[in-house]
Amino acid sequence: MERLITGIKNLDKILKGGIPLYSVNVISGTPGSGKTILVQNIVFNCAKSGLKTIYLTTTSESQFKMVRHLKEFEFFDDNLLENKFIYRDLAAYLRKEGWQKALEYIDQLIKEHGPNIVVIDSFKAIRNFFPDEKEFRSFVFEIAAKLSIWEITVFLVGEYKEEEVTTLSEFTIADGIFHLYGGEERRFQKRYLRILKMRGTSFEQGQHLFQIDSSGIKIFPRIKPSYEELIYEVASDKREEFGIPEFDEMLLGGLKQGTITALSGGTGTGKTIFSLKFIMEGVNKGKRGLYLSFEEPVSQLKANALSMGWDIDNLIEKGLVSFKFISPIEIDVDKHIYEIFDDIEKNKIERFVMDSVTSFEKAVDIQKYEDYLWALIQNLKKRNVTSIFTIMIDNPFSALMASELGISSLFDNIIFLRYIEKGSSIKRILGILKARGTSHSKDLREFEITSEGIKVLGKLDLKEMLK
Amino acid sequence: MGKDLIEKIKHYEELLVEVLNASQKYLGVISVKLLLERVLWDISQEYKEITLIHYDERGLSIEALAKTLENLPDFPVDEMFKKFFSRYVEILAKLIGKKQAEKIAEQLSKKDQQQF
Repeated sequence: MERLITGIKNLDKILKGGIPLYSVNVISGTPGSGKTILVQNIVFNCAKSGLKTIYLTTTSESQFKMVRHLKEFEFFDDNLLENKFIYRDLAAYLRKEGWQKALEYIDQLIKEHGPNIVVIDSFKAIRNFFPDEKEFRSFVFEIAAKLSIWEITVFLVGEYKEEEVTTLSEFTIADGIFHLYGGEERRFQKRYLRILKMRGTSFEQGQHLFQIDSSGIKIFPRIKPSYEELIYEVASDKREEFGIPEFDEMLLGGLKQGTITALSGGTGTGKTIFSLKFIMEGVNKGKRGLYLSFEEPVSQLKANALSMGWDIDNLIEKGLVSFKFISPIEIDVDKHIYEIFDDIEKNKIERFVMDSVTSFEKAVDIQKYEDYLWALIQNLKKRNVTSIFTIMIDNPFSALMASELGISSLFDNIIFLRYIEKGSSIKRILGILKARGTSHSKDLREFEITSEGIKVLGKLDLKEMLK
Repeated sequence: MGKDLIEKIKHYEELLVEVLNASQKYLGVISVKLLLERVLWDISQEYKEITLIHYDERGLSIEALAKTLENLPDFPVDEMFKKFFSRYVEILAKLIGKKQAEKIAEQLSKKDQQQF
């Protein structure tokens, strides 16, 4: 199946390569949902590849107004105007001459310019020029047949509601239907795209987030893995060390490669330092790492690392490690999680830290939270990325606890850190609650964090056991 | 008009009918008409006489073309129709797939050879 490559970030991926050539596609959505920008982005991308578009307006928006809006976007190139992008007013013909003459006009334009793409915007507005639904249906059928025969890929843009998809004629003849809509989530306005239909090809179903900025449209496909993505080889017996000899010994050599670990503990118990150490040790072994923080900005993480003698700046410059901070109030889970995967793939990341899952949970719509966490974990496992997710426990002196969130079953390994009172001091201890598929030490051990690093000390005395 | 030319025109008419019927199976009546119109227009850029071929619900007629060619004994009829069929099959292949279009082209070729 030959395809039209849209050039829109991730749209061709969702469509398994692009839009089938010579198809008729309806782009539907409420006013302001981004329909026109989507189509204009596609056609200008195509124009740069040499494909010609005839863009027919039925709202009589003047060319200068259209250009004025388009100039805000990087995809726009005024050299393509009247060359690969032909803008004409169909409404004038419809008003003065009727739809049959309008069809002849379209015919004439096709013969004159030989376009690869035709856009009619807005197609819904054309309905007003027809005396009844029957005549409109004939027009729809005729135009669809004609344009396909002329090897033209068609976009019919219209302000349709989703419920109209099952009732209006243009949807019956459409090969593809893209529906754009918006919603509010946690005070953010979000835009979504769904492909309701696409004949001739499979496509990624479901709701995909998209954004509009000066570069045009960017789509962030939903990350819920399909069945195919869940089929992956179980990781080998290789181990990923922390570089803390006593601790690696407790783990029988380190974390099993490709596993997901919950590192749980109260504030100040050392989760961040352990996580940083994990990433640094990975770099020592030639493995690229990504540290995603929802808690501390990168500058703070660098300071923490420097206090331990780790020069992160140098490693970032060499591309061996990436640090990202996303403020919990700014998290857009659809977008950011997708970008993380993009990062992991592009930079061949082998070790990943999310600090912390607790902040992530508070920042995400609760309905989506478990779904996203599960999808994220499955994707990391499939990519064999050894990962640590830190979990904040409110009471740093609390009894052995993996998580207050009820998510511990998602993790292969659970390590906890906590404080105990010892005499007149506060001491830090750690333990391994779980390590799927392998044995591990059952000891509770004291540990210290100094400027020389993390040192795991002896086993706890019975009388020092947790209350 | 020479006898040869009459027979030639008749032969091409039969081939046209053959190709239109064969492609109707895949495209349907309306799209076949549109495709014919399109190809006639394409070829008319070089041979405007081809627009005298007429096709509607009653069928195909190349009577008008034949009459015109009476006065044009040197007209490259073979070349014109060769380009027509080639273009038709080329577009058909894009619409219905190469395999199906080749089947129709083969059918045409057999009929063409049977005649001459």
